[in-house]
Amino acid sequence: MVQTTGMLGEDGIHVDMGHLKSGEVNLGTSIMAINFKDGVILGADSRTTTGAYIANRVTDKLTRVHDTIWCCRSGSAADTQAVADIVQYHLGMYGITNDEAPTTQTAAAIFQELCYENKDALSAGIIIAGWDHRHGGQVYSIPLGGSLHKQAYSIGGSGSTYIYGYCDANWKENMTEQEGVKFVKGALQEAIKWDGSSGGVIRMVVLTKRGAERHLYLPDRNYEGPGMDRP
Amino acid sequence: MTSIGTGYDLSNSVFSPDGRNFQVEYATKAVENGGTAIGIRCKDGVVLAMEKLVTSRLMKKDANKRIATVDRNIGVVSAGLVPDGRHFVSRARDEASSWRSTYKAPIPVASLANRMGSYVQAFTLYSSVRPFGITAIVGGFDAETEVDVDGAVGSGPKVGSGGKTQGVKEGGPYLYMIEPSGLYWGYYGAATGKGRQAAKAELEKLNLDPKKGDTISLEEGVKEAARIIYVAHEDSKDKEFELEMTWISAVSGPTKGRHEDVPKELKDEAERLAKKALEGDDEMEE
Amino acid sequence: MPGFDFSNHNRNLALHAKGVPLPKATSTGTTIVGALYDGGVVIAADTRATSGPIVADKNCEKLHYIAPQIWCAGAGTAADTEFTTALMSSNLELHSLSTGRKPRVVTVMTMLKQHLFRYQGHIGAYLVVAGCDPTGAHLFTVHAHGSTDKLPYVTMGSGSLAAMSVFETQWKPNLTRDEAVKLCANAIEAGIFNDLGSGSNVDVCVITKDNTQLMRNYLTPNTREKKMRDYKFQRGTTAVLNEKIITKEDITKYVTVQDMGDGEPGVGEKMEVDA
Repeated sequence: MVQTTGMLGEDGIHVDMGHLKSGEVNLGTSIMAINFKDGVILGADSRTTTGAYIANRVTDKLTRVHDTIWCCRSGSAADTQAVADIVQYHLGMYGITNDEAPTTQTAAAIFQELCYENKDALSAGIIIAGWDHRHGGQVYSIPLGGSLHKQAYSIGGSGSTYIYGYCDANWKENMTEQEGVKFVKGALQEAIKWDGSSGGVIRMVVLTKRGAERHLYLPDRNYEGPGMDRP
Repeated sequence: MTSIGTGYDLSNSVFSPDGRNFQVEYATKAVENGGTAIGIRCKDGVVLAMEKLVTSRLMKKDANKRIATVDRNIGVVSAGLVPDGRHFVSRARDEASSWRSTYKAPIPVASLANRMGSYVQAFTLYSSVRPFGITAIVGGFDAETEVDVDGAVGSGPKVGSGGKTQGVKEGGPYLYMIEPSGLYWGYYGAATGKGRQAAKAELEKLNLDPKKGDTISLEEGVKEAARIIYVAHEDSKDKEFELEMTWISAVSGPTKGRHEDVPKELKDEAERLAKKALEGDDEMEE
Repeated sequence: MPGFDFSNHNRNLALHAKGVPLPKATSTGTTIVGALYDGGVVIAADTRATSGPIVADKNCEKLHYIAPQIWCAGAGTAADTEFTTALMSSNLELHSLSTGRKPRVVTVMTMLKQHLFRYQGHIGAYLVVAGCDPTGAHLFTVHAHGSTDKLPYVTMGSGSLAAMSVFETQWKPNLTRDEAVKLCANAIEAGIFNDLGSGSNVDVCVITKDNTQLMRNYLTPNTREKKMRDYKFQRGTTAVLNEKIITKEDITKYVTVQDMGDGEPGVGEKMEVDA
């Protein structure tokens, strides 16, 4: 006999994360990160929802955990913010105590430990992307159960289901920065178009030897601008 | 010793009026009585060697190792009180394992030296403990190639990661020596124990500083290490000794990035050459 | 039997499956808002406190003091907003004393989110945090589960949709102080008039670099009018149709009547006095 208890589904295996904490702020999201010739690009929509209500239409889901290590957050806003804050603290301490910036691997390892050990309490799907002198750009993905995957590019959030085909068809290895930005923007535009829980502006962060650069693309300008933030 | 009878040498937590901690100085004396230990940082690896003084003819040859492996790529050799050395190694293994569980990657040699330095120093602060009666030499090889996160799946883009800075060299061979005070420095060549003076004099003759031209290879290092232990033993010919020798190379080298015993053939050859060199010295004196 | 009793677990599952809702914690319907402007920040709130369908307090205070230049508007469970803000205020003052610096808005925001995250949403505090510190004017929202947002204008509570519609149609960049106050008051009024959970008056707080101004009952759009008629009735307005007098003796048949006496001692209560 199959017993149905609490959050377990009928098969007694799959956890229904949707019912974990109803009523809380969720990032029904489209996020992605890609490798390209000179580093990595992170991209995200900007919609945060509480049920049917958009609690924030210009959310920043691209979060810095070290100078050139960033993450894309999806799932519960509270959980992912808490996890990112803890990782940011650890990487800050690492940088000071070892007198050397942490690598993307270090960040990925800490993220994974937190997501795996607390998997019963968290609904967090995180993509980590970083750049360092030694390894160049790297993209890691940590889905719900807390496993760690090194990928050429990674997509996540509810909107990602709509763009597997787009990404597979358009992905090229070793793209230029311009091609990379175009790829991410094109994919996220599709995700926003088809996913009701994704929307708003498209934010991007480009991580290269130049450091971190932010991009912004607005829906009222057909996602064509204003583009990169030049201080 | 001027310290005797003054009372300033009775406890760790007491300084003498001229700013010395006699307990630490006594610990250094314990080290000076131990068998000679040396480490050499070569171009492509590290050699650790130990003059293991044989205290009884009833002890099995090649047993009772004095050079220990702390993590796959790091070895430790110490001169002084053997049980203190064992405790040091045990703590070093805990540190390496704790680093691995936090960062899912091997501990860099510099970080291990830093943590062990702090640990040893803590034993100079409290009246309830005594300082370590050892000086430890920590040698290891930090990977020059990319090390992935333990437990990660997948390998990223087929063409490899983009945007690497060319010509940035990471990792390589490292050597540190930690004294009873907790003081530690990085070295090209390190020596401690009874025959340290002679050993240091020999080490200084070697090309170990990369800024002063080409440095010696790992295989040359092994031969030099054996010879130096034999030279250092000369002054105290009283006891018998066994030579214990380990080495660590890059992943591309003979040990594949691991800390291992020097293979028997190479060690025998090194010992043969060491003995020959000593005989040569004797001949010249004649 | 000692130990935990799980006998209700399956019953609860069955009830839940049949559509019986889980019991809900009491919370206050509220409208709270905040907006940044050039030179400072404004927050505002309505003043209705509810307990289920009953208006428990017609003029309560939902703007909470954190530090002289940092204030908080609270929605959700009233007790939780009250005690959480009080705790943060206390800890922030100690922090400020130990560092010798003026408290910062990000500090309160971080303390709040860490506190609320630890309690996994069981502390039902939804807050708008606003203030001025040496780094400028700041505005945040903090949700009960511990998530935070940073925006130029924000709304929370059951009236947040009504209030947001005002912001989304009337907000513009580079507001002046007066424009910001007016906009926030308008947004709260939208909540008061269109949300059942919100009502009564508008409280506003304006925080600038060197001053905080709390305007309690800045707007009172629901003042009680003077009664238009006198509802007192003249004596004799009601006609007496019949009259029946019941004596003490009659009642004694049904109940025991104890005479308290006309001040005579021994009857009724007696107090002992020390000699």
